[in-house]
Amino acid sequence: MPRLDLEGVTTPFLGPLDLSVADGEAVALLGPSGSGKTTLLKAVAGLIPHGGRIRFDGRPMERTPPHHRDIGYLSQDVLAFPHLSVAASLRLVLFFDQASAGRRAERVRRTLELCAITHRADRRPDQLSGGERQRAALARALARRPSLLLLDEPFSSLDPETRRQLWAEVGGLRRTLGMTALVVTHDPEEARVLADRVIYLRDGKLVQADKGGASTGARSPAR
Amino acid sequence: MAPLLILAWGALAVIALTILGALGALIGQLPLDRLLEALGQEETLFALLMSLRTSALALGLALFLGIPAAWLLARRRFPGKVLVETLLDLPMVTPPLVAGMGLLFLLGREGPVVGVLGMDPFGLLFSPAGVVLAQTYIAVSVLTRSARAAFQAVNPDYAGQAATLGLSPGWAFLLVEVPMAGRGLVSAAILAWARALGEFGATLMVAGATRMRTETLPMAVFLNIASGETEIAIACALLLLSLAFCLLLGIRALTGGSERGAGHAPA
Repeated sequence: MPRLDLEGVTTPFLGPLDLSVADGEAVALLGPSGSGKTTLLKAVAGLIPHGGRIRFDGRPMERTPPHHRDIGYLSQDVLAFPHLSVAASLRLVLFFDQASAGRRAERVRRTLELCAITHRADRRPDQLSGGERQRAALARALARRPSLLLLDEPFSSLDPETRRQLWAEVGGLRRTLGMTALVVTHDPEEARVLADRVIYLRDGKLVQADKGGASTGARSPAR
Repeated sequence: MAPLLILAWGALAVIALTILGALGALIGQLPLDRLLEALGQEETLFALLMSLRTSALALGLALFLGIPAAWLLARRRFPGKVLVETLLDLPMVTPPLVAGMGLLFLLGREGPVVGVLGMDPFGLLFSPAGVVLAQTYIAVSVLTRSARAAFQAVNPDYAGQAATLGLSPGWAFLLVEVPMAGRGLVSAAILAWARALGEFGATLMVAGATRMRTETLPMAVFLNIASGETEIAIACALLLLSLAFCLLLGIRALTGGSERGAGHAPA
């Protein structure tokens, strides 16, 4: 059974779309700016209404509010909480976790370590560089160890060197944590590095592409 | 530009000097020893305490009602929103005496509330509770308007971001949106508190002007001027001015003083 299953999903700019993502798989949706990629990701996150069906682990998501969807969402707009330090943001996210305070503190420490941002744990967003802000946002998104990671061109505003470094790190982290991921991007290189499979978004429809991002014309679902 | 600058500086000087003149005249009315004596009078202290207690309660009620209402107005569209917003602004622009008259007729013996409930359930009229009601009525309007602007300044996408991090809408409001709008909300609260402290007209109508019962600082000024006891009136007026000055200074400190927002000449 696929982990994430989109069936006839429609948004104001897209669809109907069918897409299946297997457990632990990362799928990139490659398309030009304005093609509705972000809208689709927001629909999966539950942030905007949509038509059709979205299932996660076989459960319909339509009646699941965003805060119960077990997702991590990372976008180009970091939206860091300006009143909280990096570590405090993670503590806030884990505040409602059932684990003991000690285990939550350990999770914060471990997540900061994984995202290589421990040395900035006590800094607030305005005291961080662009790359550090993205690492902090990644740590915040991963703190709860979500089952599904949604990435919306998270590193497109960074310089090429930092971007490539973060691609490699996020790809590694995702595999380490065994998370399923849906990535939207207009950058074929980002799609290739971050995802196991690339789908091209054309005229509001999904078209199967190879790992390099070249369209082969196959309709989704691809699996 | 020179004539415009001269005109602007002149206008600013006239406004500032008029305010300073009125303040100076008030302060100069009493020698220090008599002022201190008036400040120590039982009636002055009663009025000060009554004002602080009732305005603090009114601020609490205004926060309880105004913050959620302001959030709703900042975040949601609904039919008739313009009318609702205009209605909420009404207490700010109508004379408080008129607002008080409305409250009096609403809660009075012949009013609809007593008519529906068959009794006056609150004992609000002509009591300290009435003072709180009148102050809340005015303060909540000021608070809602300012808090709405504070929430509007926070990108609504933060709430969505918080949801993807597992925070329910209620917790996202309390732990993300309110702190992010915090500075604006504190400013709004200070402004509302200042308005509650200075409230007179609505209080007069709803709570009456009874010495040592519903006597707030503005009421003490009115009662003592009317009865010719100017020393207590001046002492209470100066107390009001000092409190208002401190509160306004607090807002200035929070908003970064007058420099923030000052433009630069284009290059």
